[in-house]
Amino acid sequence: MNAFEYRAPRALDEALAILQEFGDDARAIAGGTALVTMMRQRLVRPGCLVSLRDIPGLDGIEATNGVVRLGALVTHREAELSPWLGERLPVLADTFRRVGTVRIRHMATVGGALAHADPNQDPPVTLLALDARVDIRRAGGRRELALGEFFRDYYETALEPGELVACITVPLLPASSGASYVKFLPRTADDYATVAVAATVTLEPDGERCREGRIALGSVAPTPLRARAAEALLAGERLDERLLRAAGEAARGAVDPLTDHRGSAAYKREMTLVMVGRALTQAWDAARRAVRIPR
Amino acid sequence: MTRVIRLRVNGAAHDVEVPTYRTLLDCLRNDLGLTGSKEGCGVGVCGACTVLLDGKMISSCIALAVFADGREVTTVEGLAEDERLHPVQQAFMDAGGFQCGICTPGQVVAAKALLDTTPHPSDAEIREWMLGNLCRCTGYYKIVESIQAAAQQNRS
Amino acid sequence: MTFTQECVILVARERLWDFLMDVPTVGRCVPGVENIEAVDGSAYRGGLKVQVGPIRLSLEGTITVEEQDRNAWHARMRADANDRRMGGGIRARMSLTLVPAEDGTRLRIETDLAVLGKIGEFGQPIIKKKADTLLREFVRNLGSALAP
Repeated sequence: MNAFEYRAPRALDEALAILQEFGDDARAIAGGTALVTMMRQRLVRPGCLVSLRDIPGLDGIEATNGVVRLGALVTHREAELSPWLGERLPVLADTFRRVGTVRIRHMATVGGALAHADPNQDPPVTLLALDARVDIRRAGGRRELALGEFFRDYYETALEPGELVACITVPLLPASSGASYVKFLPRTADDYATVAVAATVTLEPDGERCREGRIALGSVAPTPLRARAAEALLAGERLDERLLRAAGEAARGAVDPLTDHRGSAAYKREMTLVMVGRALTQAWDAARRAVRIPR
Repeated sequence: MTRVIRLRVNGAAHDVEVPTYRTLLDCLRNDLGLTGSKEGCGVGVCGACTVLLDGKMISSCIALAVFADGREVTTVEGLAEDERLHPVQQAFMDAGGFQCGICTPGQVVAAKALLDTTPHPSDAEIREWMLGNLCRCTGYYKIVESIQAAAQQNRS
Repeated sequence: MTFTQECVILVARERLWDFLMDVPTVGRCVPGVENIEAVDGSAYRGGLKVQVGPIRLSLEGTITVEEQDRNAWHARMRADANDRRMGGGIRARMSLTLVPAEDGTRLRIETDLAVLGKIGEFGQPIIKKKADTLLREFVRNLGSALAP
């Protein structure tokens, strides 16, 4: 790795001031699993690393008014094991559990995962389906973005130099809803997905027709994305093979995958169709159970 | 740029001056002479470098040494107490949980961390926890058996 | 990896050819190119800056016009560049063909790109996408530079 300055501020304002001072020559580091790996391969060479590890107040999981807030420093392992998330947003806890290995999840943080912006990552897909929003801080200011606006391209986000992800807010799903995360993983269990789909289904009170469905796709484009055309097909419909096929085809038409060692572009397109079908089926089943056993 | 870090490793305090780019693995091996942890892949995937940081297993090859400042690190060298091997180490020997041995330090550290959190894991729980510790020799059967045997010890 | 770019530039074939063979000038149509200067009659030295997220490449190397056949309206060029800090590089072989088209000239560029060393390890597919984007922007800039 290159020689770099290392700062370990104990307050968020201090970290933001250092990031502003160094501009795009500084990078924030928390778990370091992505950043240190890239630095060891000399792909990135920051002049200064600003460790966020000692900053208090960024590692909470809390809920108010139907919304969950995950602090940027919450580790994947903490999110995976959170009893609160497990009860109210199990699809999100499950998604964090699918990332890499326990070793990675002990270090990798929610904020770091978003800032890294590799479209093969798991949590952003589910967060996108859940309409999460990102709270961004910089010296002297803050702003909020929908997650869909946060990811710009491979490894590129809307973060400007000097900005940090502070927390993510995730609305809870309405009553009569179910959600699922399908990670199609033909290689090793700790790998990134070949295709990933997160789906939510909210049913009408009769438990038969869909009121609203959301489908987010991962590993099939430069960023995770919502399959809006496929979603539009779901409203007012009953679940059947025809609907699953139509939604799968619409989703397949929206993707732009790369050929790599996890599969050819053509294969990933076809698997998008298949996995959208599976994710919708699982989410629908979960929604039906929620209708039968209301909270 | 260097930094002086103070860390506890296997119960002993150390003050070490390290360049900021030093990985925790390199610090343990080169600065502290604890060569039990190995570098297998250098990208955090194979598990040969597994150590515990404040009791949590991590890949030390992609952790910076400065992350351990003020913290507790446990390596394979810290498992035995005086002349007595840790039950996990004894179980690996008795059940044949290693062949060439290169992955073994990582395996036993990871196994110890599992049994610390889940004293009586199922086979499925063992496999999920240990999935990031790769072994090219054993085919993993004896590793799982060794960990089950060590867990049985916990019952008696 | 190979790419093919095809476009219609709204100028006569002769004018497009002369423009393309002026390497320092046409080089400026490639986004991120810096300082192209002639080394001798058919070889040039220059730099290219490319970014993929946090990864910044600073490539330096040479461009050689290996063959130019004005009668057949066909040219071959070669680019070899390295990123010294990262220990990797690119080798590109380009074949250009000009054919008359309605209102102008159809330009076809076939590129064979090899990415070597560390850069190649990073993510061939991402590099391919980036190179594709670069070439498409080049063609767009070409059109603007030659617009009547």
